[in-house]
Amino acid sequence: MPQMGFVEQLGIGALMTIQVAVLSYLLALAIGTVFALATLKRRLPVDIIWQTYASIFTGVPSLLVAFLFYYAGSGMIASLFSLVGLSVTVDVSPFAAAVAALGMVYGAYLADIIRSAIQNVPPGQFEAARVLLVPRPTAWLFVILPQVLRLALPAMTNMWIVVLKDTALISLIGLKEIMAYAKLASGVTKEPFIYYMLASVFFLGMTALTYVVSQRIEQWTQRGYRPVAAKERAHAL
Amino acid sequence: MHYDPILAWQSMPDLLAGTATTFAVLLPVLVLGLMLALPIALARLETGPRAKAAAGYIAFFRGVPSLVLLYLVYSGLPQLSIVRDTFLWTFFSNAYFCAWVGLTLTHSGYMAEIIRGGLAAVPTGVIEASTALGLTPRQTLFRLRLPMAARYVLKAYQNELLIMVKSTSAVSAITLVDLTAAANTVFDYTYDPFTPLVTAAAIYWCIVNLMRTGFTLADRKLNRHLART
Amino acid sequence: MNAIVQIPSTADAARRAAGLQPAISVNRLNKFYGGFHALRDIDFQVAQGEIVVLCGPSGSGKSSLIRCINHLERHDSGSIHVNGMELTRKASDVARVRRQLGMVFQSFNLFPHMTVLDNCTFALRRALRMPAAQAEALAREYLAKVNVANQADKYPAGLSGGQQQRVAIARALCLKPSIMLFDEPTSALDPESVGSVLRIMEELAATGITMVCVTHEMGFARRVAHRCVFMENGAIVEDAHSAEFFRNPRSDRLKGFLAQVL
Repeated sequence: MPQMGFVEQLGIGALMTIQVAVLSYLLALAIGTVFALATLKRRLPVDIIWQTYASIFTGVPSLLVAFLFYYAGSGMIASLFSLVGLSVTVDVSPFAAAVAALGMVYGAYLADIIRSAIQNVPPGQFEAARVLLVPRPTAWLFVILPQVLRLALPAMTNMWIVVLKDTALISLIGLKEIMAYAKLASGVTKEPFIYYMLASVFFLGMTALTYVVSQRIEQWTQRGYRPVAAKERAHAL
Repeated sequence: MHYDPILAWQSMPDLLAGTATTFAVLLPVLVLGLMLALPIALARLETGPRAKAAAGYIAFFRGVPSLVLLYLVYSGLPQLSIVRDTFLWTFFSNAYFCAWVGLTLTHSGYMAEIIRGGLAAVPTGVIEASTALGLTPRQTLFRLRLPMAARYVLKAYQNELLIMVKSTSAVSAITLVDLTAAANTVFDYTYDPFTPLVTAAAIYWCIVNLMRTGFTLADRKLNRHLART
Repeated sequence: MNAIVQIPSTADAARRAAGLQPAISVNRLNKFYGGFHALRDIDFQVAQGEIVVLCGPSGSGKSSLIRCINHLERHDSGSIHVNGMELTRKASDVARVRRQLGMVFQSFNLFPHMTVLDNCTFALRRALRMPAAQAEALAREYLAKVNVANQADKYPAGLSGGQQQRVAIARALCLKPSIMLFDEPTSALDPESVGSVLRIMEELAATGITMVCVTHEMGFARRVAHRCVFMENGAIVEDAHSAEFFRNPRSDRLKGFLAQVL
């Protein structure tokens, strides 16, 4: 039977897992959005930067990137700043290395998803906003973004699950999240099965929760695509 | 951090040994995973308890990270006396065997979903026509439905394959020295993290891109009939 | 219910136009899509209050011309003036010109995630900074004019094609443009809906607003237009008052086109 002390630790680890996953995903969203917008029009310098970035970060395991950032991160940052003549020492924690690695890798995937969604918004939507004199930022926020969200949501939800599970793998760089605590508990109690099963339950639970939440969000983004009245006001049809 | 080409060259044997381990883990997983996924996918397409069991299988093995499964198989199963005290121990004490089991289970979950998607996309008219022409269900499945499904899901399979290649880095947790672990080992005794890790990254990159090229060629060959002349 | 719609006669339009600057003035306009010469030296004028129909085979450049007028496409040479203002590449000039123009698209381009009412009030609130209550009142007024008042709280997907296009017309009219542009407004509609939209356009024409219409609906053109323009291969082939246009087509290509379409 699992000892409560260790189960508590698993809980702490689970919180860490969620923290890393959320921050990584947000970073990936930011990177993905920047690249998606930048590569909407075909401009050679941007394309070269994007293709290089995407090729590297989708062609290498995220665990390897995390190791690289963790072990060689301080050195790389120091070298980078020394190019501009500054002497900088930054300690890269496992947390920072994990978030940076996952964010940069999955940013590449999200960029493709977001760009594809933007390109699938009918061009007439952009044109209608233009002829109605809607200012560009307002048009992007209120007309384009909701439609991009509707198109990209399934793929973005999948990506969230992938990021969450990859967080488990990244524990191998020494991050104190759920897998690390499960391993610790297993080593001490010699009862690995139950602790790893608990970890499985955590991930399955998160997957189920994600499914429920994304269904709700999907319903909201699909408003207008179901041919029913929005509010129950107009009964006289 | 500087890249040390001499060190890179010297560490090549170790890194290539790691690459060999990576493939030794990967290839059986791809074959076994595919074989296991097919009946699950077919069960999923039916209705009734078998479909529900298949759906549960897919949900479980797609929802649990491969690392957890590897630990469960390698550390967790030996806890059960049935594994520890019987002939099964010869298998489960072997790290390779555990890696194959763990990764196959994960891979089969994703492949079952991919195959299901492909089979569902085959137009029912084709299946009806083949039945009308007297083909048995088995013949229809292997000669018509699966080849057609394969063409539809080539892109999805490519994605899954590339993900699997990268997921093999998890086996470093259960004592197998794959490419990632090999790079870390070189770092351990040379104190240079940058060179071996970047070199390993380059090797992964080459493998992934070779596979991508292979898929592009396969796609062109398989979908020749769809090309506009 | 069908009131007799009085279309101001050509003479009326001419009288009103006399002494006023043209609503639209296009001079020596050229447009290329890569190597394709889509508009060749177009000279095209529309007087205030005039109803002009642009017709011709596909690819003749009619849509390109309309889209150049409100800068959805950039013209490569020549000039475009709307109510005396020149359309340059400067954002402020483009905005000023677009303020005068309302556009109705073939595929309606309603915002699918907003209700019908929100579709109409969106530009009023965001572009013109109108307070919400005032915007809503104005929107409901125009929605009533196009006979979709009771659909105001529905989403576009819940409306028929004809209703959606009428909402699109109301949405454009809410901004009170002096010139309305129509790019094949009924081409994407099933035959029953076509009638409802054309009726609204005829009522609109009777209010004296300037209209430029790209359409294949020759019956509408004959009834409502003051002038018809036939385009082919990027050039204007014939430009005449509608009575002349239909009764005495001068060019052979127009004769052939009318024979096919009527």
